[in-house]
Amino acid sequence: MIAFEHVGKRYGGRFDALAGLDFRVERGEMVFLTGHSGAGKSSLLKLIMLLERPSRGRILVAGHDIGRLHTSQVPYYRRQIGVVFQDHQLLTDRNIFHNVALPLMIQGVPPREQARRVRAALDKVGLLHREKALPIELSGGEQQRVGIARAVVNKPALLLADEPTGNLDPALSADIMRLFEDFNRIGTTVMIASHDLALIARLHHRTLELSDGRLIADKDAR
Amino acid sequence: MSPPRSRNESPSSSRERGQPRAETRTRKAAAQAPESPEAAERAARKGARSSRVSVESRYRSWLRHHAAMARDSARRLLVAPIASLLTMLAIAIALTLPAALWLALDSARLLDNELNDSAQLTLYLETSVDESQALTLSDSLRDAAGVGGVRLITAAEGMQEFAQALDLKRSLSLLDDNPLPASIVITPLDTTPESVRALATRLEGEPGVASARLDLAWLERLRQLGELGQKVTLGLALLFGLGVLLVVGNTIRLSVESRRQEIEVVTLIGATHAFVRRPFLYSGAWYGLGGGLLACGILALGGNWLAAPVTALVQSYGGNYVLPALGVAGGATLLFSSTILGWIGAWIAVGRHLASISPR
Repeated sequence: MIAFEHVGKRYGGRFDALAGLDFRVERGEMVFLTGHSGAGKSSLLKLIMLLERPSRGRILVAGHDIGRLHTSQVPYYRRQIGVVFQDHQLLTDRNIFHNVALPLMIQGVPPREQARRVRAALDKVGLLHREKALPIELSGGEQQRVGIARAVVNKPALLLADEPTGNLDPALSADIMRLFEDFNRIGTTVMIASHDLALIARLHHRTLELSDGRLIADKDAR
Repeated sequence: MSPPRSRNESPSSSRERGQPRAETRTRKAAAQAPESPEAAERAARKGARSSRVSVESRYRSWLRHHAAMARDSARRLLVAPIASLLTMLAIAIALTLPAALWLALDSARLLDNELNDSAQLTLYLETSVDESQALTLSDSLRDAAGVGGVRLITAAEGMQEFAQALDLKRSLSLLDDNPLPASIVITPLDTTPESVRALATRLEGEPGVASARLDLAWLERLRQLGELGQKVTLGLALLFGLGVLLVVGNTIRLSVESRRQEIEVVTLIGATHAFVRRPFLYSGAWYGLGGGLLACGILALGGNWLAAPVTALVQSYGGNYVLPALGVAGGATLLFSSTILGWIGAWIAVGRHLASISPR
């Protein structure tokens, strides 16, 4: 699903945020990405999302060299990836339903179909009854679940999450992780950046550890 | 790119673990599978027929989004009516000046045509030419090339007109004989200054003609003034058009700033530049349209306000001149250009922002 080949990212000509990354993530895998703050977790996810392009090396996603995608094709590429953010990035001026419907609206899905799929996604995260609420009326954990519903509403093959539990207490964090495991179980490739080592240890998935932009460990805990 | 659906079709370990939620979800996912975008894409790649369907539905959703954005951006303008009105007013003022100038020039051109009709030249005959000779000459000139009309003013008629115009009857009656020559007023067929001048030189050579007079200098001056006015109007229109672009661009830039997070989020989840740009383009177009309507209103009001004094002034000169109004075609042109200007201004403002968030 994802293959990094000698990937490096350099900022401002001298600072190497990532260097010599070489790894593969298979289709349907669930992988954690760990490391201290500034180790390059977010940079790595940004490369996969094509928010940034690598300075060196090649990144293959689903067999395609994404470095060769033209800027005009980037949006269509991103539609195939679900992304969950630490601060969930919900739009505060519209309700939960419309927040989750956003990816479908962007892709031009007919309204009736949108409604069906949004409700299905909200149902999966257990928030179907709150579809009319505004994001601000939800708790932090609920907001994050809305963020996840939005990420999965168009059934992406790849789900990325950047510190999805960063602002949540341990019980809620475990809930959120269980949700990711559910999606992984139906075939979605999941990659989660997190520094919550205790939680990761309990979940028994493959873990990639970054330090100073280099991959220092690749443990399969299954 | 598509997820391996074989996993949810065969009973997986998750179901055996007995998670009811996982099971319902799995069933749902399987039911939805045929309509998923990946599936649609695969189908589209397989055959032209399915791709035509997809193009049609894409076109329909594109139209739907346009309509939604047009409504949404109009609603956003109405939410802040004062601010929107001020922006539109700024656009209207920028448009009013060149539009008014253009109207004035247009009517001056009408006036110009009228003046062209009276671009006559006068041939003064030698005093030795008597009345019957003058009559013969004027008759022969009537058929000359380039001559539209001929009017003979005999020496006596000339004296009469002169006396009447200057109220000099008594003092002129003291003169023994008439010192005025007879004259022939020629109306040229072609009224451009060059040909009138050529005609004058030619007729001056006719026997019996002392001199030809033509008052083209002021006509030419008027024409040059008109040309100058046209250039000034064009220059002002360009400048003020640029002003409209800046007003709209700046307003849109602020609204882009205030919706920065939204733009970032939709870009992250796969919105194209066109999608991001669309609501702002509509805002810009609405601003332009509103500004254009206000400008039409200002022009109509201004025309009304000036109509009475202008008519009085023109009548005092014995003229018949009606202050020009914009009319349907002019109004449509004004609205169209203001809307386009708003659209372009918004395009530039959003384009600058979009360029800054492309992947590097």
